[in-house]
Amino acid sequence: MIEVPIERKVLSENQRVAEELRASLKSSGTLSLNFIGSPGAGKTAFLERTLQSLKPGTRAAVLTGDLQTENDAQRLARYGYPVRQITTVGACHLDARMVEKHLEGWDAAALDLLFIENVGNLVCPTSYDLGEDAKIVVLSVCEGEDKPLKYPGIFRKAELMILNKIDLLPYVPFKPELAREYARRVHPEIEIIETSSITGFGFGHWLEWLAARAVRKHSAVKETEHAFA
Amino acid sequence: MHEMGIAGSILEAVGKELARYPGYRAAKICVRVGELAGVDSESLRFCFDAIVKDSPLAPLELGIERLDGDELDLGSLELEEMTA
Repeated sequence: MIEVPIERKVLSENQRVAEELRASLKSSGTLSLNFIGSPGAGKTAFLERTLQSLKPGTRAAVLTGDLQTENDAQRLARYGYPVRQITTVGACHLDARMVEKHLEGWDAAALDLLFIENVGNLVCPTSYDLGEDAKIVVLSVCEGEDKPLKYPGIFRKAELMILNKIDLLPYVPFKPELAREYARRVHPEIEIIETSSITGFGFGHWLEWLAARAVRKHSAVKETEHAFA
Repeated sequence: MHEMGIAGSILEAVGKELARYPGYRAAKICVRVGELAGVDSESLRFCFDAIVKDSPLAPLELGIERLDGDELDLGSLELEEMTA
């Protein structure tokens, strides 16, 4: 009997593809964001409002994941940006290979922003790196304030929490300050933006966040180019 | 929920490693699963047992070590010399 140390991640193959994607998006200066939330948290409507609010000339694209149907892609395609549906046929998460495959034929180098809407699920998508710059967790006020405590993995990994459907607060017994406290308990540095995709509340703040991140990513490329000039 | 995929990835890794040791068979693979990895150990074991029994790697035992972080790592692989 011999014992061989393997010592690598179980998902090392996914990780390898994710790192390739990350390197390719880094060289093009494309900001890639992975949106994760429960089914019904409002991810698609949030992205619709975001696409609608982008400055003309912004080069954005969306990949949207679901188990079945092209419904979300059809909704998102109305804003004039390239959109592709990833139908996972039962799989509860997107993996890096699906993203790689669905980017084929697109000139990723010509993109400023790549939005990836993951399958509605707070558990499984957390484990799969998609080569993104940041994970964004979307929590709606129709859910429990204690979601961050129940699903700490995603709230720990997400850089930003979108507290969505804030326009429904008068009708639901949701305490935003409690949700913020729980989110910060599992991830003290997490940024939180309250939004409503219906009224547009909070979108100014969100678009500032997005622009700042996109500029940072883009200028990193410029600096690298200078370094090699 | 995605434990079946995880189990498949473990088997794939074992198969790859085993190919480097002709004359041996895999007896046990150890994995480390963190509390925050989003993987349920019992479900992983169930899925692993379900797919390993019809694979060329059977019989193969799965050892799971529970940790506190978000680890989902392959640890060591125990190999047995095959008797002709």
